[in-house]
Amino acid sequence: MSTTLLQELHQETRRLYIAGSDLAAGDFRLKRLLPQFRQLGERSAVFKRIGEGIAALVEPEASAEPPAVKLQELALLLESVLYTQGTSTPEGSPGPIETVPVRTRTTLAYRRLAPIRDALTTSGGGRYEIIMEAYKEGAFQDLRLLPLAIGALDDPYSEIADYAMTTILPSYGQDIAGVLAGQLDLQGGKNDVRKLKVIGAAGGPEWRGLLLSAAKDGKEAIRTTAIEFLAGEADVVPLLLEWSRESRSAIRKAAYAALAEGGSVEGEERIMEAFAGKDREAAGEAVCGKVSAGLARRLTALFHTELNQVEAPPKDGKDSEKLWSRLQPFITALRGLQSPELLEAYRHVLRNYKRFAPVGGSSLLTRAASYVEKHGTYEDLQLMQELEREHVVYAHQHFHLARRLLAPAELYHSFAGSLLETLKNLGSKRKNQREHILLDAIEALVLRREWRQVERVWEGSGFYNSLDYLMPGEEELDTWDARWLDWFVARGSLKLTAAFARPGHSGAQSFMLKHLGTLEQRDRNELVPILFQGLERTGMPLPERQELLVSLLEQEKRYYRPYDFDGVLFGMLLELPASYAGRIEALLPRYQYEARKQLAYVLGQVQAMA
Amino acid sequence: MPDITATYVDSMAPNAAAAKNGQNLVRKNSFTELSRTESGDLLFGKCAGSGKQPYVCSADFIMPDKPVFRCSCPSRQFPCKHALGLLYAYAEGRGFAVKDVPEDVAAKREKAEKREENKAKQEEGGAEAKPKKVNKSALRKKMQAQLEGLEQLEKLVLSLVRSGLATVDAKRLKELQGQVKELGNYYLPGAQNELRRLVILFGEGEVSEEGYSYLMEQLTVIHALIHKGRSHLHARMEDPELLLDPESTIDEWLGHAWQLSELKSFGRIRENAELIQLAFHSYNDLARAEYVDEGFWLDLGAGDVHRTINYRPYKAAKLMREEDSFFGVAQIPCLYVYPGGLNARVRYEEMSVRPAEAADYRDIREAARRSYAEAVKTVKQQLKTPLGDKRPVLLLHAAQVGVTADGQFTATDSEGQSLVLEDIYPLAEGTVQLLPFLPAEALSDCTLLVMFHHNPDTNRLTAQPLTVFKDEEAFRMLY
Repeated sequence: MSTTLLQELHQETRRLYIAGSDLAAGDFRLKRLLPQFRQLGERSAVFKRIGEGIAALVEPEASAEPPAVKLQELALLLESVLYTQGTSTPEGSPGPIETVPVRTRTTLAYRRLAPIRDALTTSGGGRYEIIMEAYKEGAFQDLRLLPLAIGALDDPYSEIADYAMTTILPSYGQDIAGVLAGQLDLQGGKNDVRKLKVIGAAGGPEWRGLLLSAAKDGKEAIRTTAIEFLAGEADVVPLLLEWSRESRSAIRKAAYAALAEGGSVEGEERIMEAFAGKDREAAGEAVCGKVSAGLARRLTALFHTELNQVEAPPKDGKDSEKLWSRLQPFITALRGLQSPELLEAYRHVLRNYKRFAPVGGSSLLTRAASYVEKHGTYEDLQLMQELEREHVVYAHQHFHLARRLLAPAELYHSFAGSLLETLKNLGSKRKNQREHILLDAIEALVLRREWRQVERVWEGSGFYNSLDYLMPGEEELDTWDARWLDWFVARGSLKLTAAFARPGHSGAQSFMLKHLGTLEQRDRNELVPILFQGLERTGMPLPERQELLVSLLEQEKRYYRPYDFDGVLFGMLLELPASYAGRIEALLPRYQYEARKQLAYVLGQVQAMA
Repeated sequence: MPDITATYVDSMAPNAAAAKNGQNLVRKNSFTELSRTESGDLLFGKCAGSGKQPYVCSADFIMPDKPVFRCSCPSRQFPCKHALGLLYAYAEGRGFAVKDVPEDVAAKREKAEKREENKAKQEEGGAEAKPKKVNKSALRKKMQAQLEGLEQLEKLVLSLVRSGLATVDAKRLKELQGQVKELGNYYLPGAQNELRRLVILFGEGEVSEEGYSYLMEQLTVIHALIHKGRSHLHARMEDPELLLDPESTIDEWLGHAWQLSELKSFGRIRENAELIQLAFHSYNDLARAEYVDEGFWLDLGAGDVHRTINYRPYKAAKLMREEDSFFGVAQIPCLYVYPGGLNARVRYEEMSVRPAEAADYRDIREAARRSYAEAVKTVKQQLKTPLGDKRPVLLLHAAQVGVTADGQFTATDSEGQSLVLEDIYPLAEGTVQLLPFLPAEALSDCTLLVMFHHNPDTNRLTAQPLTVFKDEEAFRMLY
């Protein structure tokens, strides 16, 4: 049969459907096909019937059915015939499939698989959690999720794309590199960069060739990614040197980074060259975190030399900016490193406060002070004290250094004791400022805030993140002079009083109790959990604290109304005796969000005890 | 009592959300009481809910194949999350106190027993002889209305064809939507769905060349439906018994929902059948406004590939059981077979499960068609029938699954004839991309379950692999 002719007729009938069957009469394009169908009709009944159908359309008889019916009938017949004409054979000759048997299981049932598939193929909220949970349960070991996991590299929600890149795909092992390599487009966009990252990280040495050609011929982002993975390979060094002179700064940076990481002599030379020339800023950013000991020594020496060359404070803002742009790359490049030479260089900065203070809007000085705070020795205390005298803000670094070096009593003495005399000279404004700085510095040392995953026991499943204070332990407190507590109470620091509170210190307890019920709304959420921990530290028995908490919730005004109760308070509530059931029930309508659910759960537990 | 494992409970749940909610109750310790009887055939307990009184729920295994779940909660989901939670708690090995059967359950058991007795008595007493009475004059009236409805539909379709598809604008589309509703007055839900499908195709926005081909095809399908439906209704009205046609699908096209008793009365049943599921999926049928769970099964005795269909109307979707992939062998005392083509729909009321064995996989292998020429012929035979199912599913034996230089996947039979494997339009989920990840040995001398589709524009008949069977392993690429 002539399939082309049938196809042509199909197109013509479709045209009539679009334009309307009333236009069929006398349609010359249909008419043109008619003789061929008549001719074929002599041999085949089907073609004869089709021919008759066409004729009835283009040459309608007055009394016959309307053209719409004729068109429908012709189309119906034609479609039936075409259904028998479909070609099912492939265009080329088939060869074997190159298989990459990454995973071979397909054991997940529809109900399990479908929500994960939805999460990976649609957009909208709540998908990340589903995907993460599915991964943790091992669902991605099912073959059917593999292509979707690769597709997730392109997800508009970048957390999902990154999760697929860093976690899901590498879990398939080395073979995944082969799969991704087959789909990689060196001129592609973000998702190809991600594919390359998986190949670089999960694939073995056999993918070096691919990385090399990606570094040579890919789009910019592809090249920089590939270059990253080529660091440390001796025979690539000439190429890296070449790339480090390219006009595009992204490529230069990638090359510098790889050269620094490789640690070759040529690489070191090239980076020093960049520091000597105009490309210092790019080089500084690129090599940060990748500097070898030898390179660090050379950079530090150059840094020190350049610092020495500064003989007077910058004349004006422009001058200061220029100097900062020369010095900053050293700071960036050497970040995270330590050496006696570097310490000496930063000491030099501190010793010449006036000269360096304006550089980078005091950034240079702050950086130097922080370095000395971390790595300085006993002799630096004097230097820091002088620095503090220049500007009280450096009391912070001074205190931290002293805390590291001095015995507890000595520390107390020099910051809260004898210095009092000198402080008198400072004037009260400056004194207050200094005390604030010290309180902040101590807080930073002893009170850490941490995000913690808390199981939603009151919901039965799931987790949520809660930002909690970690109170200092007993061991930690032993390293502080006992007199600090009085100092904190005297200066009205609730947080530190709670942290340092100890049994028998009635001043601390009454100080906290005095403030507990009258906290401002903005402080309440943060302070109430801390204060209850502080009260526990003063030795206040649990029933008293529970009563205090419940009455704080019941208070007419300024009652405690959090989004959620933190672990400590929730734990206290859970241990409430049965007699509280009525009071908790009465409280419920006051609360919303997680707090309400928690209270409802507490109520259930309390009632269950009754 | 069956072995209560988490998987077993999952399978009892109407949907994944219910299962999760049930598990959450256990984790939340919401059960204030967990008990079981000495014999272990009844689990019962109390579960805290939002009200003051806890819900009292139980799972009764006095008939192990037909567990009965009871609960005092108002949920219309069945079994509810409380009953599921009770089972999960048991599966997790929580402590269940041994107690006597509670009074209310004992009373209900007694009633159920009486009901069974009565039923048995009725059956013995020759209840079979009492067929359902049909109000013939009402039925005749209904058929008359159906004929009128077809008349309306024809008018509408012809006016569309006359004025041309290009003239359908937003206003006309709105009119058409109104006409779909109107057709609801004529007892023709099937025809109404097809008209709605047409309207949905129109509503999909920018119509392409290919889109017009599908529109045209939908119009001709409706045309065939009108004609065949009309002559069928006329023939039925002449029959003094006004009987349905048990051999063709026309009644279903018009919208008849076959009742199991009707199928039985036409002898469309198979006794003691064993079915193994070959593939499963679920899709959203916009025209029917229903979710459709569709399973493809091999009748192990007869070698036919059947389909099970579970319709879940949007409005009731939450309350209805969502079907799932099924990995065992269903032993079915009485299998009801609908009229249909290559994959007739089947249903059953009762079944028990046994694990799939090597012999079952051998049966799958033997049921596969070995000559593609023959298979394609059979498929085309069905496709050319205007009201035939346009997505036939077949088991094929493949000597080799391969790929051409252009990346076209193929299956080749032992005579060297090849068939193109590709993802087809009617299925939402692609599968061919998975082929390269299968173990190489699974791709030669294997059995494929494929769904065929004819693309009117490219004039190609292609097949999408749903599952690959090799030895005793099934690689399900769909679900």
